[in-house]
Amino acid sequence: MHRLYVLPTLLINVVIIAIPALLTVMLAFFEWDGISDPIFVGLDNFRALWGDSVFWRALGNNVIWTIIFLIVPIAMGLLAATMMLVARRSANFFQVIYFLPVIIATAITGRVWQGMIYSPVTGITGLVQRLGIDLANPLTETSSALYGIAVVDLWHWWGFLCVIFFAALRQVRAEQIEAARVEGATFLQTIRYVLLPGIMPTITLMMIMTVIWSFLVFDFVYILTQGGPAYSSEVLSTFAYRSAFYDLAVGKAAAISVVISLFGLAATVLYIRVQAKEFDQ
Amino acid sequence: MKKTQLLIATALMVTVSHTALSQAALAQDRVTWWYEQATPDQQKLIQDHIVGPFNSANPDEALTVDYRGSELDKQLRVAMLSGNGPDVVYTAGPSYVAPMAQSGQLMPLDDYAAKYGWQERILPVFLKMGEYKGKLYALPKTYETVGLFYNKTLFEKNGWQAPKTLDELEKTADAMMQAGITPFAAGNADWRGANEWFVTLALNAVAGPDNLNKALRGDMPWTAEPFVKSIDRLNGWWQKGYFGKNYFSLTSSEQTADMLASGRAGMMPSGTWQFQNVATYSKKAGSEAGFVGFPSASGDPVFPLGVGSTFSIAAKAKNADGAAAVINYVFSPEVYGTMNSAWQGEWNIPLKDISNVKMASEVTPLFTETMKNLSAAVNQGNYGYTTWTFLPPATDSYLINGIEEVWLKKISTQDFLTKLDASFQKEAKAGKAPAVPAR
Repeated sequence: MHRLYVLPTLLINVVIIAIPALLTVMLAFFEWDGISDPIFVGLDNFRALWGDSVFWRALGNNVIWTIIFLIVPIAMGLLAATMMLVARRSANFFQVIYFLPVIIATAITGRVWQGMIYSPVTGITGLVQRLGIDLANPLTETSSALYGIAVVDLWHWWGFLCVIFFAALRQVRAEQIEAARVEGATFLQTIRYVLLPGIMPTITLMMIMTVIWSFLVFDFVYILTQGGPAYSSEVLSTFAYRSAFYDLAVGKAAAISVVISLFGLAATVLYIRVQAKEFDQ
Repeated sequence: MKKTQLLIATALMVTVSHTALSQAALAQDRVTWWYEQATPDQQKLIQDHIVGPFNSANPDEALTVDYRGSELDKQLRVAMLSGNGPDVVYTAGPSYVAPMAQSGQLMPLDDYAAKYGWQERILPVFLKMGEYKGKLYALPKTYETVGLFYNKTLFEKNGWQAPKTLDELEKTADAMMQAGITPFAAGNADWRGANEWFVTLALNAVAGPDNLNKALRGDMPWTAEPFVKSIDRLNGWWQKGYFGKNYFSLTSSEQTADMLASGRAGMMPSGTWQFQNVATYSKKAGSEAGFVGFPSASGDPVFPLGVGSTFSIAAKAKNADGAAAVINYVFSPEVYGTMNSAWQGEWNIPLKDISNVKMASEVTPLFTETMKNLSAAVNQGNYGYTTWTFLPPATDSYLINGIEEVWLKKISTQDFLTKLDASFQKEAKAGKAPAVPAR
């Protein structure tokens, strides 16, 4: 009888997640314009992706994105969180400040950066240009577009990690920190030998989630550059979106989505294994 | 006690009037129409000039317009697939009609065309464009063209003439570059599709409409010499800096119109949809704007023809007759006059005879004049082709993104055209290419 309790969530999961996911995997083997009847084409969609330079660029951009987000926001978050731990009194104030960008809608954040900072007409870039300094809008150069978007996402994102890490740090037992201090540990040594090991599970989880989220990134890229100029900031999700809704190649889009899911799946497997190891200990 | 009685009486009255209302609504046949993005002011225009007058003129029908925003196309596709779409199917252009007609989601309109006499009232080219396998499936709502806006005040001050040939265009543009003026006010920050306006102009001006017609019918590959020359010439303009250094940062509509009106740019290759912005910003800057057909190699202006949106009726429409009545109502001189005056360029309905149309007095003569020229050019069969109207979806999407790769030197003109041609041939073979009227 108690097994019935899982039924509602199971039902929602099957209808909203399992069935669409299965359909997507199936569609990856079909050619479909989203309107007429799908035609089975076997591995053709994957073969086409293999030979498509845009696909490789998008995949490469996702990898670069993942590396950036594994390092920069986590480092920033950890640094700010430990500093808040020291300056307990102002911690609440800083938490609010750091967290603020997280709660602003992505579309608004994107437009603010595009219009007020990057735009050569209405933004700070324009102001600098008018002062005679040759500064280009980073979103318009193929060499910097992806990084220009990453800066916006970092600004929006790192505060979240900071608050999570701060919450975890506060769970580290006070006696341990006290003991370290009594033993004569410096601030850096306390971080290295007490705080960081204390919150390692949280850091691991955040890193694994970062890998999954980085392969799903869509909103900021789509709002700021739509993958351009000349595909330079294309990521897998914007590529899939364009394939499905502009090129009417839903099968190809499904194939790209399957690739995205594979990376997410790998990260999930890794997470489960890490977790299992912790339970064993 | 009295309070309770009052409450009961009110409740009863509300129920009775509600029932009466719903019965009245039942007596009418609902016609549904999903519209794209529209501002509250624009929605009011549709309400005042289409929905209101239509419902009073047809007491048996009740037209409701549902605003679906910029995602209309995607919503429509899903709804049509499940058979729950609106009666009036409003697509973004003929390239969307072919796949829908192909899979039997649309109703042939030939009987309604005969009943309402559409053949006599609508420009024949457009009826041809709405055909799929010999049957009529769609009517275009508005037609448009791309040409060259220029800052007349600036031109007069510098003694420049509106260019007629491509060589003249380049000479004027070079003079502007020397004077520190950006030749073309252009940008794509808000609309990547703006890229194809310039590709369209180059293809029509250099290769010419005849070659385009052959390519669109599959009689000539896109890798042929005339198209190579077109893309090379366009790329030459880009490399010389005609498009300015902020192309990817500027919005295609307002910021470019501002640039032209203020004299920071001398010319603006753009479409008839820009008239309203040009008028607004010219007034603000105190300058006068001009508009000419885009220069060509021969010196005769080319007017590439574009269709904004189309009307069809869903095969599973609950009220097909009502939907046909609505479409018929839109194709009237009254709607043309009121809507095209208030919302210029977006309601340029392709009527054969617009001599009875009354336009509002505040419409600029430049706009009215241009639309007359375009209508005459179309009537004489002397028009070019816009890529967004005549190319199938994936080919068009590649054209928009691929041209950036050419401009930014990631690929050559040949690579670009080879990929474009491969995509076109594949889609044409699958029956996804829109109809192209014979020349």
